[in-house]
Amino acid sequence: MLLVLLQQMRRDRIILPIWVLGTAALSAVTVAAAANEFGDATGRAQILAVALATPALLALRGIPNGDELGSAVHFQSFAWLALTLGLMNVFLATRHGRADEEKGRRELVLAAPVSRMTPAVSALLLAVLANLAYAVLAVLGYQAGGLPLEGSVLSAVCLALIGLVFFGVGSLAGELAATTRAASGIGVVVVLVAYAFRAAGDALGTPDVAALTLDPAWPSYLTPIGWGQLALPFTADRWWPVAVLAALAAVLVAVALVVHSRRELGASLLAERSGRPAAPATLRGAFGLAWRLQWPSMLGWTIGSAALGIALGSLVTAVSQLDFSANPSLQAILQSLGRTDQTDVAKALIPALTAMVGSLAAASGVQAVLRAREEEVAGRTEAVLAGAVSRFAWTGAFLGVAVLTVAVVLLASGAAAAAGFAVAGNDDFVWLALGQCLVQAPAALTFVAVAALAVAALPRVSVGIAWGLFGVGVVIGYFGQLMDLPDWLQQASPITQVPELPTDDWLPTFVLAAIVVVAAVLAAAAFRRRDLST
Amino acid sequence: MIEAQGLRKHFGRTAALDGLDLTVSAGEVHGFLGPNGAGKSTTIRVLLGMLRADAGSTSVLGRDPWRDAVAIHRDVAYVPGDVTLWPNLSGGETIDYLTRLRGGADAALRARLIEDFQLDPRKKGRGYSKGNRQKVALVAAFARPAELYIFDEPTSGLDPVMESVFRAEVERVVADGATVLLSSHILSEVEQLCDRVTIVRAGRAVETGTLDELRHLTRTSFRVATAAGLAEVAALAGVHDAREEAGHLVFDVDGAELETVLAALTRAGVTALTATPPSLEELFLRHYGDRIAVTDEDAA
Repeated sequence: MLLVLLQQMRRDRIILPIWVLGTAALSAVTVAAAANEFGDATGRAQILAVALATPALLALRGIPNGDELGSAVHFQSFAWLALTLGLMNVFLATRHGRADEEKGRRELVLAAPVSRMTPAVSALLLAVLANLAYAVLAVLGYQAGGLPLEGSVLSAVCLALIGLVFFGVGSLAGELAATTRAASGIGVVVVLVAYAFRAAGDALGTPDVAALTLDPAWPSYLTPIGWGQLALPFTADRWWPVAVLAALAAVLVAVALVVHSRRELGASLLAERSGRPAAPATLRGAFGLAWRLQWPSMLGWTIGSAALGIALGSLVTAVSQLDFSANPSLQAILQSLGRTDQTDVAKALIPALTAMVGSLAAASGVQAVLRAREEEVAGRTEAVLAGAVSRFAWTGAFLGVAVLTVAVVLLASGAAAAAGFAVAGNDDFVWLALGQCLVQAPAALTFVAVAALAVAALPRVSVGIAWGLFGVGVVIGYFGQLMDLPDWLQQASPITQVPELPTDDWLPTFVLAAIVVVAAVLAAAAFRRRDLST
Repeated sequence: MIEAQGLRKHFGRTAALDGLDLTVSAGEVHGFLGPNGAGKSTTIRVLLGMLRADAGSTSVLGRDPWRDAVAIHRDVAYVPGDVTLWPNLSGGETIDYLTRLRGGADAALRARLIEDFQLDPRKKGRGYSKGNRQKVALVAAFARPAELYIFDEPTSGLDPVMESVFRAEVERVVADGATVLLSSHILSEVEQLCDRVTIVRAGRAVETGTLDELRHLTRTSFRVATAAGLAEVAALAGVHDAREEAGHLVFDVDGAELETVLAALTRAGVTALTATPPSLEELFLRHYGDRIAVTDEDAA
């Protein structure tokens, strides 16, 4: 048993510390960030009051409880930390469960004098250790930030137990599904649905502005994340959710272990769905393949961007209805989010928020273009190019799908935001929001075209180059001003060059569009000249 | 069909191809034989226009494979040595997709091939074993007639029954007038199928000719318990390297002299006999003084 556990720990010596330390660091950083952004108790009360009036913020963040610093931390981070820990635990469960069986590693271990249950129980121990490590680190982080001890422990314990609940979900998914992909898929969907139910329940909840808290609606009560939130650490300090979460985790893990003890190696409760015996007529040519491989990701990005658009619309609507004469400090905070000193705060928020939409679109396009490299590394590009498919068509297909993805993502968020404004009767903002989303296209496509050029010209390092440039561009574009970077460096990020509508200065947009065309042409030419490399 | 002269290709400082010549004429099954790492796959990738040779001239179906890849590929069916499939496409979808790239499958042929290769076309790519992935690629190659078929170690994952299905398909397409280039590191496989053979070693063709011309390469090794004496057997025509080991006579026999040697042995009386075809390793050791492991390092 110890040997098996040590081997599992050794395999996870990089990935698991990244998850645990990363999540713990996020917890600690939130305390400092909340102290910084929310100001003193009055500042916190003002911002949380705005939040209580903004369903989109409640959905995105969580429920506040009082004007303590801990309340702001809980509001800002609890649901996100639960989401991160949920994913960590689902992947941990499938990595040491279904993946081992699918790859045949489990067979090697069980052929030694090792009981069938040993690897499963050992994975459970590993999960307990990982979540415990997170809880200890989080408590230390909260203490360093000056939060009360009881609330810190309660919050960390709830999160660790939510982690174990999702370890149970992941284990059970591994018993049900035949492949690692399907098992992780089921687990991730359960985590996301839990988050979404909590988001909906919180958004639809009944706010109590005097006590600065919220009674969530019924969907929040259906999810472990919602229960964990109800512990209301730092104010009410309720301990009953700890018992409920512990019981749920125990039941899920126990069911998974019982199924595991009865199941044959490699068997699964759900058979893998078989595919079509013949291809649909649309699966032809380079574009047909690129589309078939990419449409699920495209759908995912589109749903995400539409959600972002809805959040954008409702946030701006809420802000536009505020009366700032009473509290100018709040106006200053909100204004600092925007990049200009627009007097109309709501209008200033639109370019800042649509820049996020632009980055999301850029990321979706970069991912679509890098798929071509993934195919090449796997050796499948060779199979396609051995047919009557030109190098030009291959580059064009993936670039084409990437451009389409960027367009759909921008349209989806623009339309969602515009629809929100139309419903709220905010007619001024309908066309502004849609236009400001669409005008992100040249900047987003610059990242995409440069990624395509990297794949064509420097294939071995293309993934690093593409995401590296994207990361640097986003950091400079968002924080260049805050960090006081030299002007030429700020201007170098395509994100900085996106105009704020209405504008007369279209030159930067045309320059970006020209860069896109040149980079795409160069990419097509470079790919025709090089050897395929894996 | 294929005309390659003086092909050179370097990857970094290692030379994968070092002046390789290869000629394949229309209508023949040409064996491309050599140990792993000798440069067979690199040559095939040059012939398909995936790689560009550093030096040398190449022509496939009378065209330059780098410049006219698309035109050539309409008439070429290719099965790589290591088949990877799209994990979420079914085998049937993959077959249809790959054949459509060349103009579409012959539906009746496709159905018969799936039947003969005993392939389940509904399974997703990630669910296939190595042998079944190979079968998907083979069905895709055979399901639409081509002028030239290129197979890179096509039977490495197949069981003997499927190997015979593969051989039957090769014989069918050759009867229809197609040309086949078949790379392999297994001598017996090439012997069964090929009219002519090119032997490649460390990026260079070392022998090329018909199987009869290369008959001196294919001796059978015998290990016999017989009343005949060592000197008597060693004196027979076509017998080489005769020696005595643990009461058995051990010797190699040229393919052309098998019948006379067997007749002589039978006359003398035989109580036990094993005969093994020479492995490629032995062949290389005997003719080129190479240990294969060394060749591997040279060309890897």
